[in-house]
Amino acid sequence: MSFWVTVIRQVGRNLRQTWGSQLMTLLTVSLSVLIFAFFYLIYTNMLSLGDKLGDDLTLIVYLEEEPGPELQQQLIKKITTFDEVEDIRFISSAMAYERFAGQLGQNEDVLDDMPKDFLPPSIEVIPLKNLRSLNQVKLFSAYLAKLPGTLKVQYGQEWVERFYYFTKLLSIVVLLSGTLLILTTIFMVAYTIRLTILGRQDELELLKLVGATNNYIRIPFLLEGLLQGILGSTIGITALYTLFHWIKLRFSGPGLLNLFEFSFFSPIVSMSIIGVSILLCTLGSYSTMHKFLRI
Amino acid sequence: MNNNTAEPSETMIEMIKVSKLYPPDVVALKDVSISVAVGEMFFIIGMSGAGKTTLLKLISSMEPPTKGLIEISGNPIHQLKGFKLARLRQKIGVAYQDFKLLADRTTAENIAISMEVSYKKPSIIRKRVKDLLAQLNLTDKHNTITCELSRGEQQRVTLARAIANSPTMILVDEPTGNLDATTTEKVMQLLTKCNKSGATIVIATHDDSIYRHTSHRIMELREGRTHAIVGGNGT
Repeated sequence: MSFWVTVIRQVGRNLRQTWGSQLMTLLTVSLSVLIFAFFYLIYTNMLSLGDKLGDDLTLIVYLEEEPGPELQQQLIKKITTFDEVEDIRFISSAMAYERFAGQLGQNEDVLDDMPKDFLPPSIEVIPLKNLRSLNQVKLFSAYLAKLPGTLKVQYGQEWVERFYYFTKLLSIVVLLSGTLLILTTIFMVAYTIRLTILGRQDELELLKLVGATNNYIRIPFLLEGLLQGILGSTIGITALYTLFHWIKLRFSGPGLLNLFEFSFFSPIVSMSIIGVSILLCTLGSYSTMHKFLRI
Repeated sequence: MNNNTAEPSETMIEMIKVSKLYPPDVVALKDVSISVAVGEMFFIIGMSGAGKTTLLKLISSMEPPTKGLIEISGNPIHQLKGFKLARLRQKIGVAYQDFKLLADRTTAENIAISMEVSYKKPSIIRKRVKDLLAQLNLTDKHNTITCELSRGEQQRVTLARAIANSPTMILVDEPTGNLDATTTEKVMQLLTKCNKSGATIVIATHDDSIYRHTSHRIMELREGRTHAIVGGNGT
């Protein structure tokens, strides 16, 4: 009989003997992977949403009065002194009025009684894509606010800040659920393997006496952990995939979720999560074996 | 086994001034020296507590000696580790006094275990198990869980497991303790057959019916010491 056939038979025996605790471990591993992957999926989607919003980030500098061509050049020079920017657009009061009227559409007539220059002139500053962190945007905004003739600077501060703190919070949740995944997989698998070892003490003793090699005794336990990792993480990821598609279908009508393009993990990320889970489970099984299986 | 394949005239077991002490101060064996040749049948006799089982445990490397040297086929057994030790143990079949059977497994599975560790083909294992069960009058117990067997049957299963892998050395501890006269004879016939096919046999017993008329060497232990070695060429 080949080594692997014998070892696989041993694994089958182990699983049959301790199927109750094996099942509990499998569920725990699946649940841990599901929880971690769920938050990680939200986090990655929020990051890509943030990137998308960041692409549209525009700082609007409202001015006291329309700058002449010379002042415009001076302002451009001042703005680019802080950092290079993608684009600087000067919007006159008249242009602002037209744009606003266009936005009102059929209700344009509400502006009939208003003077054409009631909106202040402004500068639209589109920062470079590398200006992503909230602090950098804040610094740039403060710099622009100090430019001569500036009334105020707007870039949707409140929204951007909330979004930033939300993604920060999510990253903490992802870290915590990642820790949960590590702890549960390692400890649960380690505990189950320990139970198997203790339950089969007599057999292991006999195996040593009849000449079983260390690998013959150890590898089934390692495979057990490996199997827990493969099955647990696959079930977890598959459950999340099913849940993701169910939510997408269920909430596909007009609503908040439809504003954003949510996507599932790429195959590489899914495989990485499965791979790491397998590694953790095998590590759990290895550590117990090292501690309790004296050969 | 190592590369020095044993020839018939070579020594299988070499024990020089071997002692075994159990804490706090129990002397199980004291300065025991024996030399058993390849293919020899050797009896160890003595009263309960004389040290017979301890001697077998030391030879089978279940326990290390406190003092002295034990060599099996020229290998100092207590210095061997890992793969080499496992390979050597595959060549030693041991029938333990306390049987060491897996209570939740069938008779066939218990016998097969010693062949599985050396990766024998399933068809060979099945055939060998059947043959052994037939020789020991246990054919009808093939699929019986060993905890449901009588003491005598369990003893025979232990013996079957010890010889199943065709080891070069068979250590048997009280092989007939729970057997009737007819079964004792069958067991001894089986061991003699193994011996004739080249295996070294060491039998620890206090049942004089199995060594009374033997021409093989007999070592008597008393309180852990060698009292006498009789029989064989030296008689």
